[in-house]
Amino acid sequence: MSDPTYLTLEGLTLRYGDTVAVEGLDLAIGKGELVALLGPSGCGKTTTMRAIAGLLAPSAGAIRLDGADITRVAANRRQVGLVFQSYALFPHLTVFDNVGFGLRLKGLRGTALRDKIEAGLTSVGLAAYAGRKPPELSGGQQQRVALARSMVMEPKVLLLDEPLSNLDARLRLDMRTELQRVQAQTGVTMIFVTHDQAEALALADRIVVMRGGRIEQIGAPEDIYNRPVSRFVADFVGFENIFSIRDGKLWAGEAVVPLPAALPAVAGLAFRPRSVVLGAGPLNGVVRGASFAGGTREYVLDTPFGPIKAEADAGLPVHEPGANVAFDLPIGQAAPLKAD
Amino acid sequence: MSLRFPAALVLSLVILFLIGPFLIIVAASFSAGDTLAFPPQGFSLKWIAKVFTVESFRQSFVTSMILAVGGTLVALALGVPAAYAMSRYRLPFAETVRTIVSAPVIVPGIIVGLALLRYVVVPMGVPITLALFLAHTALVLPYAVRVVSASLANLRSDIEEAAILLGSSRLGAFFDIVLPNIRGGILAAFILGFVTSFNQVPVSLFLSGPGVRTLPVDMLGYMEIVFDPSVAALSSLLAFLSMGIVLAAERFLGFSRYV
Amino acid sequence: MFHNRTEALLLALPAAAFAAIVFLVPVVVLLSESFRSPAGWSLAAYWTFFSEPLNQAVFWRTLKLGLQVTAVSAVIGYAAAFAIVSLPPGSKGRMVGLIMLPLMISPVARTYAWIVILGRTGIVNQALHGLGLTDAPLRILFSETAIFIGLLQLFLPLMIISLISALENLPRDVVPAARVLGANWLQIFWKVILPLTREGLVIGGTLVFTGSLTAYITPAILGGSKVLMLETLLYQRVTVANDFVSASVIALILVVMSFATNLLLKRIATARART
Repeated sequence: MSDPTYLTLEGLTLRYGDTVAVEGLDLAIGKGELVALLGPSGCGKTTTMRAIAGLLAPSAGAIRLDGADITRVAANRRQVGLVFQSYALFPHLTVFDNVGFGLRLKGLRGTALRDKIEAGLTSVGLAAYAGRKPPELSGGQQQRVALARSMVMEPKVLLLDEPLSNLDARLRLDMRTELQRVQAQTGVTMIFVTHDQAEALALADRIVVMRGGRIEQIGAPEDIYNRPVSRFVADFVGFENIFSIRDGKLWAGEAVVPLPAALPAVAGLAFRPRSVVLGAGPLNGVVRGASFAGGTREYVLDTPFGPIKAEADAGLPVHEPGANVAFDLPIGQAAPLKAD
Repeated sequence: MSLRFPAALVLSLVILFLIGPFLIIVAASFSAGDTLAFPPQGFSLKWIAKVFTVESFRQSFVTSMILAVGGTLVALALGVPAAYAMSRYRLPFAETVRTIVSAPVIVPGIIVGLALLRYVVVPMGVPITLALFLAHTALVLPYAVRVVSASLANLRSDIEEAAILLGSSRLGAFFDIVLPNIRGGILAAFILGFVTSFNQVPVSLFLSGPGVRTLPVDMLGYMEIVFDPSVAALSSLLAFLSMGIVLAAERFLGFSRYV
Repeated sequence: MFHNRTEALLLALPAAAFAAIVFLVPVVVLLSESFRSPAGWSLAAYWTFFSEPLNQAVFWRTLKLGLQVTAVSAVIGYAAAFAIVSLPPGSKGRMVGLIMLPLMISPVARTYAWIVILGRTGIVNQALHGLGLTDAPLRILFSETAIFIGLLQLFLPLMIISLISALENLPRDVVPAARVLGANWLQIFWKVILPLTREGLVIGGTLVFTGSLTAYITPAILGGSKVLMLETLLYQRVTVANDFVSASVIALILVVMSFATNLLLKRIATARART
């Protein structure tokens, strides 16, 4: 990576009136990185993004971009691009004028202006729509115009607010590819905000999991996915069976999980449904529900210590609802949690 | 955004500009002095008391009240069926009807007053009071229709049809189903009409005569002769009356939903 | 939906007939009188009217003040509307109520206050004298300035309310988007907010303009008999000179101006409904 501290947030604290949305945030993002801010609503990810854009002034802390302190720089002078969740296209201007808006403000005119706009539109495949107005475009097309509008400004950092949330499955894939292409082609540093772990895992070089205004975990997608550090992150990336370790025993809430195996010296264990071994093992449960999910079968088991979610290959024999099943939670398959 | 301070400043100045003068009038009504001035010299209730003793004010107040209440009632009696017809039927010439009924909003009141005086009162010997009453009713009619129409638009028409299928007559359905549900709108229309009629000046300018005057016109006339705080006192009282009615309506009705 | 056309007409007829007879007919007859002359229909009355310098002055003054009040109320209106839309919901409602409140008070009361403020011994003069800025009291009352102030106060709430409505209907995020693209506040206002709130501006503008053109009380109280506007001129022609012909000429001018601006309003409303 060329400059690992291209964009840094140092001790960033952001307030909305009396509520503290983000507290003492430290983050360093490298030039050309694609970073996802992942978390549930209210975790401060959007607030952080708006602070980077300059739409929100920090109560404490600093933001540095490409060596310069931009904490007090006005939003219209930061060279940061932002693609809004609502796209925020100007309805009274054509696609052409929308894309050219920022360029015109910089003083570009005539052929220089036109060439840049056309290049921008061509790169998102919308050159033919230059004369249309936003209400005439589909949601996916509007988003690409918004993207082009930001990218023609050649920003140092491109921010995207929930870029894939409004799209249906097929468009989501298209836009994901589009964003990766833009990044590969221009090398722009990209930060996007999302509440969807699948989006984050698919797109990002690094994921920053946020909660309650603080960072829970930073890491590459594989790290986040396989080695969540806490119950919160584990839950977020799809671990369904999460236990704490206290006094050398495994606890599911207030009930003990009678696993005879030796427990590692960590705060908790998280098991994915597919890690649960059905059919043999030291533990017992009754099948409460079974559903067919194409390639797998999903089970919910009632046990003395609470419900367990398990997943088995569809080809294996079915465990009917009401049946008693022996199962195992192999420690080796669990993600160790460093914190609760 | 660093616009908080200038925004607050602008807003305070605007509110001051809009309401300040009225507050000055209220303050002046409590003046102990003999002329209308601000700051008021001393504190006294004498001007407020005086207002009630001026004979012409009493007469014109009654006139204004009769016009406002009566005119609005008649306007509603005419307007509610018309609004109903426009909303529940495919009315032939609907646009024409709407235009005719709304026209008084477009034509300046003073012209209406003059026209009635010249072509109705004088040649046909229609008493001024009647002409005044008709003029005020015509003035309030557009508001009545508009507000009640809005209320009707919010009421689904299929409930009337349901009532009819259950055996109700058309008229019965109207009184049992429609009326109770647009009650709020009718009341709002009444209050709006009342306030509009009461405060109206231009229409009543030409249509006044001995003993026949609306209160605002009377106040105007008084102001030209005597410049003392009684007009201020009267203005304050009337203003509080209007505001009180509207605020009460807002409180108990959610008035602003209908206008 | 009911389909009996006779019923419909019967329900609507009383109101329509009433309005037509009581209002439409007399007014139309009055307006037609402006075209009457001994030789039949003609525009003679208009020539006579406009050939008099006083009438010309009154006409232009009325138009001028109408435009001035509209322009100034637009500027102040935007500022106030911005301030209000950025308030939290509770305060916003209270502010809007406060702005609307003056509309419930009789125009006589609202205009009357200016006499106390602008008169020779009024607040403004007292303040100026107290600050040592003037020796003799300034004559502010009974002037175009006084009428301007009175009209502005009367109609500003209408403009503010229109603009609030328009600002609240701005598409989400267009202002921050323009900001991030490099626009300063003046550019944002001119290139984004103004074009997108144009309708609200026109609605507010026509309300203020029509109101100012057809005002009676304010010019009567603050202009007196020296500074006339079209409606006070009309009143004077009738009560002082019994000149009904002039009156009907003025009446027609007023109706045409009022009608034209209302037509514009309707056009905007239907254009908007179509998009």
